[in-house]
Amino acid sequence: MTAAPMVSTYSMWSLFRNCRKAVEWRHLRELVPLERDWNLHFGSLIHECLQSWHLRRDLSEVLTRIDRLCPRRLQDEGERRDWHLATAMMKGYAASYPSEGFEVIGLEKAFQGPIINPATGAASRSFVLAGKVDGVVRIGSDHFLLENKTASQLDADYLERLWTDFQITLYAYYVEQALGIPITGVIYNILVKARLQQGKGETEEEFQARRSELLAKSKTGKTTAKRKLPEADEEFQQRLEEKYAEPGMFHREMLYLSRDRFDILRSELWELTQAFLDARRRGVFYQNTSFCFNYHRPCAYFALCRSNGNPNVVENFYQRAAPHEELREPSGEANEPVF
Amino acid sequence: MSILPSAKTPPKPGLADLTVLVYGQTKIGKSTFCSHANGALFLATEPGLNAVEVFQVPIQSWEDLLAACAEIAEGQHPFRTAVLDTVDNAYKFCTDYILKKFKIDHESDLAYGKGHALVNNEFQRVLTKLAFLPYGLFLISHAKEIEVETRTGKYTRIVPTLPDKARKIVLGMVDMVLYCDLDLTPGEDGTQNLRRVIRTKPSLYYEAGDRTGRLPETLDLDFRKFLDAFNAAVSPLKSQGAAKAPAAK
Repeated sequence: MTAAPMVSTYSMWSLFRNCRKAVEWRHLRELVPLERDWNLHFGSLIHECLQSWHLRRDLSEVLTRIDRLCPRRLQDEGERRDWHLATAMMKGYAASYPSEGFEVIGLEKAFQGPIINPATGAASRSFVLAGKVDGVVRIGSDHFLLENKTASQLDADYLERLWTDFQITLYAYYVEQALGIPITGVIYNILVKARLQQGKGETEEEFQARRSELLAKSKTGKTTAKRKLPEADEEFQQRLEEKYAEPGMFHREMLYLSRDRFDILRSELWELTQAFLDARRRGVFYQNTSFCFNYHRPCAYFALCRSNGNPNVVENFYQRAAPHEELREPSGEANEPVF
Repeated sequence: MSILPSAKTPPKPGLADLTVLVYGQTKIGKSTFCSHANGALFLATEPGLNAVEVFQVPIQSWEDLLAACAEIAEGQHPFRTAVLDTVDNAYKFCTDYILKKFKIDHESDLAYGKGHALVNNEFQRVLTKLAFLPYGLFLISHAKEIEVETRTGKYTRIVPTLPDKARKIVLGMVDMVLYCDLDLTPGEDGTQNLRRVIRTKPSLYYEAGDRTGRLPETLDLDFRKFLDAFNAAVSPLKSQGAAKAPAAK
């Protein structure tokens, strides 16, 4: 009896291209950092909001969902920040797109398909590829993938990079194969994260220090300086809403997919499967040290690699979680009140 | 002659080969515990050893620590175990040393986190070099509570009082993380008994660890009992090592 093929995803192959050691930690040892990554949390929150919005276009439902997904916002600073940003972002989004030029065919569409050897046309017995697209939409008679993205900054590099997006080409190919929908291109739906911070105010000591500095500089020996108080939630929300009314906070980029890209991609994907099998057979997943600080911050497994896999680091800073979390059903429905 | 090894490195069977982090609340008995280590030499960065009779070198700066380490490395002494008491203060001395060297007031005065990285690199360099010496190394730290937000919720966790990155460096290089704690157990007459213990396995609520994986989860905070447990845990390794010794060709 042969074992069932291993389910692989875009994120696994992407990580494998970047650092094999990280794949070993995540997909074979099934380790994730113990502490939650705020960026990932916010991204999944907005994904759920967009799914809800594109399904029924009911802003009050979306805002209620944000309230429910940030239940500790009164006590927890991080959650309050998420709540403020998500609320203003979704209000701005609804105002920016009061009507849509596309028809939604499906949201969060999951797919799974074989990985084909381009030389022989045979399917891999070791891997299948699974994934989930944010949406499939129709404009006229053409179908497009809808890809939601949150970005800290939307600049020329960001937009140009979309052309080399391995993920979406891969998804388009598999959606065509698995769901039988011919895909013309991709609509990147980009939402920019505002960098505004809620004013924290200053302590009495900080105020006195600032006041003393101002007095020292003042020719009259007087100052009208007042202590800065923390910014009220309403004021901060207002500031965020004004920010989201500015042009450039939402952007849609439509790209058409070339059929040639599909062939290149099939070939690359097959090569990756062979490299993975070789690494697993020999038990060698080497580290790509150029990737350790890829986004100007340490990789999630940096502490682990630096300690040469010390079990103390594994047990105190990581926990086990099954891979391919992106394939799980969103938590939104599960969070519906039972009564 | 080839420098490549001809045999695998056996597991470290002796306590004197290990690097151990001991942490816990003030006055629980961390220094007393370490003072019973074989041939202990305290690198004392803070007062507090008055009640313990030990050999100690007062350390008041990073330069003092480097000088003491250099002398330990020379080997002209009877000591078998170095005890850095506390590693928290050593980290502060390391920070002061880097600030002075680069003529800055704070690590963040150097752009893009460079100051923090310089401190951490210097700290790791010296601790790694010290751990490679043929002596046991005990690092002592105090305990603090931090809030950790995980995927499943928020927890208050007891951890050594080192900055986050330094803590990851230290935990990544030590063989054991021993958390000194008070264990509350109900007595026969219904009263609560307080026992000073060492916790050797990690939990969501505190950091701990044991690379040998053979120590019991909880031990009395008593060096003799710890040593007995350690020797019992590593004795199979010693016999394995003897059995697997490669025959001379």
